[in-house]
Amino acid sequence: MNQESPKMKTLSLFRAAGLALVLTGLANGPALAGDSAQAQYEDMYQQAKAAQKRAASVEGEWRDIGKFLKKAQALAKKGDYEAAFKLARKAYIQGKLGYTQALSQQKVDWPSYFK
Amino acid sequence: MLKRIITLAGTLGLCLSLATPAQAGPKEDLARFQHFYLKRFPGVPLKEFANGVYAIDKVSRENWEAIEEFPPYEPYVEEGKEMWNTPFKDGKGYKDCFPDGPAIKADYPRWDAASKRVLTLELAINECRQAHGEKPLKYKKGPIAILTAYIAWESRGKPTHVVIPDDPDARAAYERGKRFWLARRGQLNFSCATCHAQNAGKHIRADILSPALGHTTHFPVYRSKWGELGTLHRRFTGCNKQVRAKPFKPQSEQYRDLEYFLTYMSNGIPLNGPGARK
Ligand code: HEC
Repeated sequence: MNQESPKMKTLSLFRAAGLALVLTGLANGPALAGDSAQAQYEDMYQQAKAAQKRAASVEGEWRDIGKFLKKAQALAKKGDYEAAFKLARKAYIQGKLGYTQALSQQKVDWPSYFK
Repeated sequence: MLKRIITLAGTLGLCLSLATPAQAGPKEDLARFQHFYLKRFPGVPLKEFANGVYAIDKVSRENWEAIEEFPPYEPYVEEGKEMWNTPFKDGKGYKDCFPDGPAIKADYPRWDAASKRVLTLELAINECRQAHGEKPLKYKKGPIAILTAYIAWESRGKPTHVVIPDDPDARAAYERGKRFWLARRGQLNFSCATCHAQNAGKHIRADILSPALGHTTHFPVYRSKWGELGTLHRRFTGCNKQVRAKPFKPQSEQYRDLEYFLTYMSNGIPLNGPGARK
């Protein structure tokens, strides 16, 4: 994983915030900060679904992503958007990691112990 | 001094030849693969690798030999024979699809040039059934494992001899299978090779990791943990899940290609299915 310096992190955070502002401005939608927990969850869920699909497209999906998303939906149904959001975010992160992992393995060859 | 230079040049040459796998094909892979295990487990002859972990661990071997005195798969072989001999609704039978049967295990997996895919025994069985108006069987356990247990039994002693024909599509399927075996996957970031090569012979929880050489000779297998027979692709599924990767469907292209590569790596080892394992 890439190590970011704290300074870089702050910078990219600013950039992300700036981007978010621009995007919300463009979409003319409600400000992100004011979004309901439900809307935030639903957005994260969609992103997680997309990340899952992307990982699967390179044969890199991890075992529990589907389970996390199912659980998240059940929690959301009960109105616990905070817990649902956390699970969806976990699925999203795993989707990203699985995708990156699969790409990193596309050119594997015999490891050194086989030489 | 001169001698030293010559040795040095020789070593360099050797390094260079090892470092240029560009021309390496299935044959070189096979030599490399088998050499690795024969060196890792000196004194274990090639054929002995058909016995999985019992080839390399004395204590587990004693338990296994006791089990093999009353093999748990025996009733299934009988049942499979009945299946083989029971005609389909249209009056035909397996023998019409497989005239050389039932001892046909060693003919699979193979490259089917017409359909451009790896044809496994299980797939061929279901295509035979469907051609005769019968429902396909599920691929992980049950009837398909019972029928193939009989076929495996009848095929005992025939050497594994998978052919990778000189056909770019076949070669691509082989390469996909090889990459599948070598690629790290899942949250644990392990490849098949991490467990069954790099760590072969070492303990993981209550198990000793078996060498991948010989992994395909004895399927279907009766596992005490399952309490029944299971197919090779059922085992693939389990090993994928262990590293928290999402498994593929049994008989998916991914698993058929993997089977193609993995079985080829055991070329020369006689078939000894069905097997019994922990
Ligand atoms: C986390 C370690 C691990 C990984 C990674 C792993 N396996 Fe396994 N595998 C095991 C264990 C444990 C067993 C049961 C003990 C044994 O026979 O090695 C097993 C058993 C098997 C068997 C049955 C061996 C026999 O004698 O019946 C096969 C075949 C197999 N694995 C194939 C694979 C393949 C193919 C992959 C990659 C997709 C893989 N394994 C990845 C741990 C692993």
